[in-house]
Amino acid sequence: MKKIFTILLCLTLCLGLIAGCASKPQTSGGTLNLFTWEGMFPSQVLKGFTAETGIAINYNNFDYDETMLAKLQAAKGGDYDLIIADDYIIETVISEGLAQKLDRSKLTNYSNINPFYQDQFFDPSNAYTVPYGAGVQTIVYDPAFVDIEINGYADLFDPSLEDNIGIIANYRVITGLALKILGESYNTEDVDTIEAAGKKLLELAPNIRVIKDDNLQDDLVSGEIAAAVMYTSQVTTAKLARPDLKVVFPSEGIGFGIMASFIPSKAPNADAAYTFLDYILRPEIAAECFEWIGYYSTNSAADSLISKEYRDFLTLPSDFSGDTEMIQVIGADAEDAHSKAWTAFKSASGK
Amino acid sequence: MKTKRRNGLSLLSIMPLYLFTIVFVAGPLIYLLVLSFLTRAEVWGVVNKFTLDNYRNILDPIYLKTFAESFKLAILSTSLVVLIGYPFGYFMAKLSAAWKRYMMLLIMIPFWISSLIRLYGWIIIFRANGTLDGILMGIGITSAPLKLLYTYPAVVVGMVYALVPFMIFAVYSSAEKLDWSMVEAARDLGATRWKAFTTVSLKMTLPGLLSGIVLTFIPSMGLFFIADLLGGNKIVLVGNLIQEQLMKAHNWPFAAALSVVLMVLTSLMIFLYRRITNVKELEGLI
Repeated sequence: MKKIFTILLCLTLCLGLIAGCASKPQTSGGTLNLFTWEGMFPSQVLKGFTAETGIAINYNNFDYDETMLAKLQAAKGGDYDLIIADDYIIETVISEGLAQKLDRSKLTNYSNINPFYQDQFFDPSNAYTVPYGAGVQTIVYDPAFVDIEINGYADLFDPSLEDNIGIIANYRVITGLALKILGESYNTEDVDTIEAAGKKLLELAPNIRVIKDDNLQDDLVSGEIAAAVMYTSQVTTAKLARPDLKVVFPSEGIGFGIMASFIPSKAPNADAAYTFLDYILRPEIAAECFEWIGYYSTNSAADSLISKEYRDFLTLPSDFSGDTEMIQVIGADAEDAHSKAWTAFKSASGK
Repeated sequence: MKTKRRNGLSLLSIMPLYLFTIVFVAGPLIYLLVLSFLTRAEVWGVVNKFTLDNYRNILDPIYLKTFAESFKLAILSTSLVVLIGYPFGYFMAKLSAAWKRYMMLLIMIPFWISSLIRLYGWIIIFRANGTLDGILMGIGITSAPLKLLYTYPAVVVGMVYALVPFMIFAVYSSAEKLDWSMVEAARDLGATRWKAFTTVSLKMTLPGLLSGIVLTFIPSMGLFFIADLLGGNKIVLVGNLIQEQLMKAHNWPFAAALSVVLMVLTSLMIFLYRRITNVKELEGLI
């Protein structure tokens, strides 16, 4: 018996080693080392790129932005040619000197970018980044199971929603929701204000049924929960499955985020990165990508090419006048106050 | 001369083991310990400044509660695993050789599938209008979907499911070596079935049971993804807290301090456990 265990153990160890070797980025001339979350491009777009340019794509994925930064730091800005990640982490990447300035002359389709998504805090002069998908956090609910009309975050505290709400697991967004109710900024660094928001948030705990980032929309579609706070891509999936769901831009203010791409400072094959960026900036390719990821299109030329089924979800409403704010990196004390409030809130939700 | 050569050879064959231990076990542990005394940087990374704040931070009632929660879940899961796994392993050792092999295979096969995927199986069973709801409503016990997923019992089921094989194998390997003629002797001398079990069988399989408990208790202190997936993230275990401090709050020193305290507490539990039960040898473990 022990022998069997030993053999199994050895096999598992070997498998781990093989897997570790296989995912090591390649650095040969005709390869683009792409580093982003899983499933950020439809396979026909990736295949089409290789067929047209002869550049093979080595797709490496990370789970969290933080994993990406840790790996990029370990590689000293090398190993990867193009990275797509969230706005706030890119700000840190740039300040750590791990991104290189873009040569816009190499991007013939640069003018397709919607200026609404440019000049943002993480890259004020657009020197390093090209926006990819953008999104907001919205409330989605099933009117068949909700007796009240939901207009903003404060309505989620209604006792009729007990044990019936699902929320994403991003604590800056969720404690931020309480900050918004108190009329504060997402990015306040005042510890007392954050603690007050944490206290307010505890009142929401009895209504919380699930806290998670992955596939929260499934719980809403299946009827496990009646209302949810979620990301744009999840809203898109939920609405396509259940058109009767209601989407609300919270009246207190809207959290807004942009995923953007940048070329690391010591990218082994920056030319391939430019070729790829220019390729996905083409309107028809961009339209395919945005339909696939389900986030707002940042490419003005692509908007009209997005199929009718998706268009309403992938472009901001023309009369959109919501009060948006992006979540930015805050100081250590404020961050600690946030995570303490969040831990207390999660524990209270389990009671 | 002959013995000397053998020594040299055995040293050579043992060297990789020592090297492996130093590089992959002692190294990270020391790194963790050092990290737990450093200060977090304002945005990203750590600053080389000694502090005890990370440990002081753990004393905050909010964070202490996560330790209590972890112990509670670990003790509850381990108790249930003992109740299910001990009889299973014990009676499995009494089966014929062919049946033993079949049982072994039945327990091993699920291990060929990723534990994460098996947990998703539980989600399909527990979710609203899922398999369990379907059966209960089909035979008329309930009329509307129950809220089974994202509850404490769901987490406990997931924990027990994930850990019970460790107990079964530990008890089985111990019970298999049991000399049944001793049990027969006890019976011949007038002991009742129960008395024979408690004085002979239980005593002789105790090392297996204890190593099973250790094999269950320690992982159950760290299996945070089950609480995540089946508990809807509402049960905050130390594991969840460590992961969040590391990946989201960027407070690596605090995560390191939490890990150190968790390791010390777990080691202390094992130490106390061995003291109380007075067992020197844990079957297949030490």
